[in-house]
Amino acid sequence: MAEGVVFDLGYRPHEGERLGRSGARRALYKDGLRRVLGLRRKMRRKVFPLVLMAVSILPALFFVALSVVAGEFDQTVDFFDHPQYFDLTGSMALIFIALAAGELLIPDRVHGTLQVYASRPLTTVDYLIGRGAALATVVISFLWFPHLVLFLGRAWVSSEGFGSYVTSEAGVLLTTLAASVVYFAAFAPLAFAVASVSKRAALAAGVFLGVITISGPTSASLVDAGFPSLGLFAFQHHPGYVKDWILDSSTHSWIPERAGYDPILSVVVIVTVAVASWLVVLFRQRRIT
Amino acid sequence: MIPSPASDILAISGLRFAYGDIVAIDGVDLVVPPGRIGLVGANGAGKTTLLKILLGVRPPAAGTISVLGHDLGHGAIEVRSRVGWMPEGECLPPDQTAADFLGYAAELGGLPPRAARQRASDVLGLVGLHEERFRFIGEFSTGMKQRAKLAQAIVHDPELVLLDEPTAGLDPEGREEMLDLVTRLEDFGINAVISSHVLTDIERTCDWVIMLDGGKVLRSGPLSDLSTMDEAELEVIGDLEAVAAAARRLGAEVRVHGVALVISQTGGAAFDTARDAVIAADAAIRRLGPRRTTLEDVFLEAGAVDG
Repeated sequence: MAEGVVFDLGYRPHEGERLGRSGARRALYKDGLRRVLGLRRKMRRKVFPLVLMAVSILPALFFVALSVVAGEFDQTVDFFDHPQYFDLTGSMALIFIALAAGELLIPDRVHGTLQVYASRPLTTVDYLIGRGAALATVVISFLWFPHLVLFLGRAWVSSEGFGSYVTSEAGVLLTTLAASVVYFAAFAPLAFAVASVSKRAALAAGVFLGVITISGPTSASLVDAGFPSLGLFAFQHHPGYVKDWILDSSTHSWIPERAGYDPILSVVVIVTVAVASWLVVLFRQRRIT
Repeated sequence: MIPSPASDILAISGLRFAYGDIVAIDGVDLVVPPGRIGLVGANGAGKTTLLKILLGVRPPAAGTISVLGHDLGHGAIEVRSRVGWMPEGECLPPDQTAADFLGYAAELGGLPPRAARQRASDVLGLVGLHEERFRFIGEFSTGMKQRAKLAQAIVHDPELVLLDEPTAGLDPEGREEMLDLVTRLEDFGINAVISSHVLTDIERTCDWVIMLDGGKVLRSGPLSDLSTMDEAELEVIGDLEAVAAAARRLGAEVRVHGVALVISQTGGAAFDTARDAVIAADAAIRRLGPRRTTLEDVFLEAGAVDG
């Protein structure tokens, strides 16, 4: 009769490879992705990311499906244009960034987990880049992925054939990707800056969304009242204005445009706010660590 | 470069650190061998500050530091791959399972993902949390959290682990378990610096002690040096004062310690003197034994001299 045997393996030291700082950076990035998407967390952490991503992608899938079905009956359906689709995904990205930025920075600080990072082969800059890169990956992906779906859908139902359409229109993939990066750069650094001085993720998200959404109507009123330079404070409008510039379209009357500024000045504002926000986050993080 | 044998885990020279005008570490010189090192001192003595300096989190105002033979002045990143840190306060994310967080902590320490997961499982078993590894840390008791904190400190298999008040907040049973775990670290080949203001914890777990007071080192040396045969503790049946007087006549230093006499004489003669004094005073011995100097004695004595 066989008998069970318990083996006490004791302590086994790690004798394999050590990846050092590069491995730590990769781990940080992966953890950021999991945290932003709520993976390996409780169910309620997954709800917001999944809903926002579904809202972003479903219209594109719906229109592609509709076009394929219509094509069976020799009918055509007009798709959303790429610039117009950013009206939907840009808003989703704004909400997503507001929630995710706080989720990436605040729990580590509130629960003292920064002390664990401080004891590993990482610098403060590594930590912030890892967190930022994770958010960038997810946000840019979900801003851009619906455009890829639209592009492939159009190519599928194109009268000129899939290959010809892809070859002739491939440039739109690059321009929509560039516009996605602009949306991320316009919103994420400021969201991180607000999160870096807040103790509650919900509060940080509320403050960030409040600042961004109020900046539009407030600036519009001031521009209309004869203060055109204040049009540069319409933070919500800069990425849309630059996006239209990149995609060579005109979807709205953007406030910086109404104030008489060129899109390049909106790029300057986005970069300036991003750099200033980065410095705030870096200062706060170094102080805490 | 600090002159230090390669085997010394710490070599510190002229270390100084201040928070603004408040000097936290003031001219510390230390050379510490491998093993379990106790770092004792009252609250505010500079223990946590010293540990954070050793970790490279706080840059010193002056002085040189070598940790595991690596000069911290040349960057702390290299050192941190080989050192673990268990902070006194909270450091665990409540919304992750113990297995997930430990695996992540191991990867942050530079281990490849597969090895990190394996190590996380092994180390959780070592600290007695194997059954709880898939529970969220937020559901853990204080004792389980302390064990998880120790686990994250050793999960990347460091050569040295810095433990800041590892028994803080634990009930007596949890405290015993934690001290047992700390004692086992040496079996794992991990050196440890254990900061505590509980002297008995250090006496029980360490073989070397560093005493800090007001940012200065009162004493650094083997714990065994605290035991001495130069003092005998004597309880008598008969006239205590007469025995004390006889011992003094025989050249010993005598002080009354409750119902006992503490007879001090160098050269290991304290016991002979005790015997002779009892005979001279026509008394009898109730109890005679070596008086073991406690850390508390040394601390108070050194503090009194310093003060």
